[in-house]
Amino acid sequence: MKRIKSIKEKKKDSLYGYAFISPFFILFSIFGLFPIIFSFYLSFQRWNGLGEMEFVGLRNFELVLADPFFWKAMYNTFVIALMSTLPQLIIAFLLAFALNSTYVKMKGFFRVSFFLPNVTSIVAVAVVFGTLFTNSSTGLVNSFIGLFGFEPVNWGTSEWGVKWAISAMIFWRWVGYNTIIYLAGLQSISQDLYEAAKIDGASVRQQIMHITIPMMKPVIIFTVFISTIGSLQLFTEPLVFIGTTLREEGVTVVLYLYREAFSNNAFGTASATAVILFFVIIVMSVTNLLIANRLGNSRKKVS
Amino acid sequence: MKKNLYLFITLVLTFFLTACNNGQESSGSSSVNQDDSPEKVELTFWAFGSTGYDELIEEYESMNEHVAITLQNAALADHHDSLFTTISAGSGAPDITMIELGFIEQYKEVPDRFYNLFDFGAKDIKDSFLDWKWDVGEIVDEDYLIGLPTDIGPTAMVYRTDVFEEAGLPSDPEQAAKLFETWEDFRKQAKIITESTGKPVTDSVTQLYNALRDQAPEQYFNTDNELIIESSPYIKEAYDYTVTLVADGVVGDIAAWTPEWGTAMDEGSFATLLAPSWMLGVVKGNAPDASGMWSIMTLPEGAGNWGGSYLAIPSQSEHPEEAYKFMEWLTSSENQLKSFESMGLFPSTPETYEQPGFLEYSDEYFGGINTAEIYAEAAEQVKSVYLGPNHSIANNEIIVALDNVLNEGGDPEKEWEDAIKRMKAQLDRQ
Repeated sequence: MKRIKSIKEKKKDSLYGYAFISPFFILFSIFGLFPIIFSFYLSFQRWNGLGEMEFVGLRNFELVLADPFFWKAMYNTFVIALMSTLPQLIIAFLLAFALNSTYVKMKGFFRVSFFLPNVTSIVAVAVVFGTLFTNSSTGLVNSFIGLFGFEPVNWGTSEWGVKWAISAMIFWRWVGYNTIIYLAGLQSISQDLYEAAKIDGASVRQQIMHITIPMMKPVIIFTVFISTIGSLQLFTEPLVFIGTTLREEGVTVVLYLYREAFSNNAFGTASATAVILFFVIIVMSVTNLLIANRLGNSRKKVS
Repeated sequence: MKKNLYLFITLVLTFFLTACNNGQESSGSSSVNQDDSPEKVELTFWAFGSTGYDELIEEYESMNEHVAITLQNAALADHHDSLFTTISAGSGAPDITMIELGFIEQYKEVPDRFYNLFDFGAKDIKDSFLDWKWDVGEIVDEDYLIGLPTDIGPTAMVYRTDVFEEAGLPSDPEQAAKLFETWEDFRKQAKIITESTGKPVTDSVTQLYNALRDQAPEQYFNTDNELIIESSPYIKEAYDYTVTLVADGVVGDIAAWTPEWGTAMDEGSFATLLAPSWMLGVVKGNAPDASGMWSIMTLPEGAGNWGGSYLAIPSQSEHPEEAYKFMEWLTSSENQLKSFESMGLFPSTPETYEQPGFLEYSDEYFGGINTAEIYAEAAEQVKSVYLGPNHSIANNEIIVALDNVLNEGGDPEKEWEDAIKRMKAQLDRQ
């Protein structure tokens, strides 16, 4: 029989417990919590990073929300998010389905090669894509589309050129990641279900619609979540791609924030932008969650 | 439960305090060392790029045995990021730091973060430096010197001799220079070059615009930091000239610092390049096989300055006198000659231009020309100009406008007005 511990020993145990988990909390409070709180504080100050801070109330929020450039950045963020996420998830699903089928050989090879872009350095990717997507008509992408009789596109300066180039970069980098997640999801679906369905005479299409997709729901929700939040925080790709002039065609909200803080030394408005983005992400996540739940509920009713 | 929470907090605090203690101990022990008879001084020195200062430091240390200098070298952007952070945080800054021209204005807004170099006798050496260079490091109204000049970036123009020959222009620098005396000449030759070779006369709108902008005696702001480009003619003239050449179709679209740009330099895909003194190293690096293909001449209508640095002592330093002594030595005309000979840092001390090592200089890559002499001439022509802390905000918008005119077929006047609107919106919130 187990000995009942004295109160003193219990305390000792929990002390060890806290000691063991403390490194995370210490690091988190220095590098995570403190900056978050400081950002909230800064969003009410006017500060150039070097001089004295000055309390300005809600002025920073007014400035940011009244700035057409901020709204342009918001628009860019959502457009690029849509352009990169939607095709990415659909294609990732198809790739995962193909990898999971019995027809494809050398699965390990494909899995690794799809995932490889995800572990390359973003900056390197952006530099390489910057070389592919250049304005000049001799650039690789422009020569390629020239083969099909298209006019060269100003990838670096035109409204849609910049967005397509950045979306292509995100697509290339993240499609493999989502493929692997979907593949894991597909593999966790028990074969029994498919066998049972086959015995009942279900077609392949019916199997996908009534077994694969419902069983994959949590995984799909997860990828949509991660991709949405990821695209709202899009930063390095456009920064390296459009360079320090930060032309408005490719400026995302985080890039707008960066520009405020580190090229214009306006840390107050930059923090205000961060706070606004924080709430936007919360709203997006909640909406995501509600839609996902609704989908789940209606499915239950139908089946 | 509550007790546990207290325990947790104490634990976290102890962790913090021990961490802090460690820091103090190590700095404490180094001060003990300083008790040795000729007081030992350790200085940290932050620099960026290839300065060759490590050799000079060794020389200085052997002459002053009580001084030990640690040089920390980083890339330009990283260097200035770290500097900004340490200055802003109030700890961790070095004893001596290099500050590039584009970054010094923001520190002039907060002079108390740096020592006033006039307190250590910098007034005595003022005359040995170029005036326009010196002025930028000084806050005139307050009699406060933040930065001691190091190198400068006077501008000239390098050109491809093969492209010139193809266009039927003389490739010899002396004869060619006669055809490029004014910007009107430049436009005329540009048309000839592009018509006969199909190559743009210059790589990008930015470079062309910069060349003109940097010749102006005033730019975006007056000394009260008011935006003056609507009343001052210079920036508008530079802008108008640039868009005229864009309309002529003679300006290229090859962004600087891209791989394409390097290739274009190597292959000679454009005819001329705005080249501050340090750009020669960039050309050689990008086009190692094009030796003899590039030559050099002065820009039409004078010269400007692009880049160059200063040395400053953050007020966190505990040894400002020793730091200043080293800085004064490092920026002397003899040592600036050494930095020039080893790494091509162009001296800000006109005395250096008279020294034999400088007069006999010649560059095989540029056809054996004394490039140093051309830049020395350019350096003496540069005018003192006030940039102000918001220079890059204003400049960025003009570059965007020019890019729009070149690539998106924007109307120059409308783009100019939009740029001013964007500038004002941004400046309002500074």
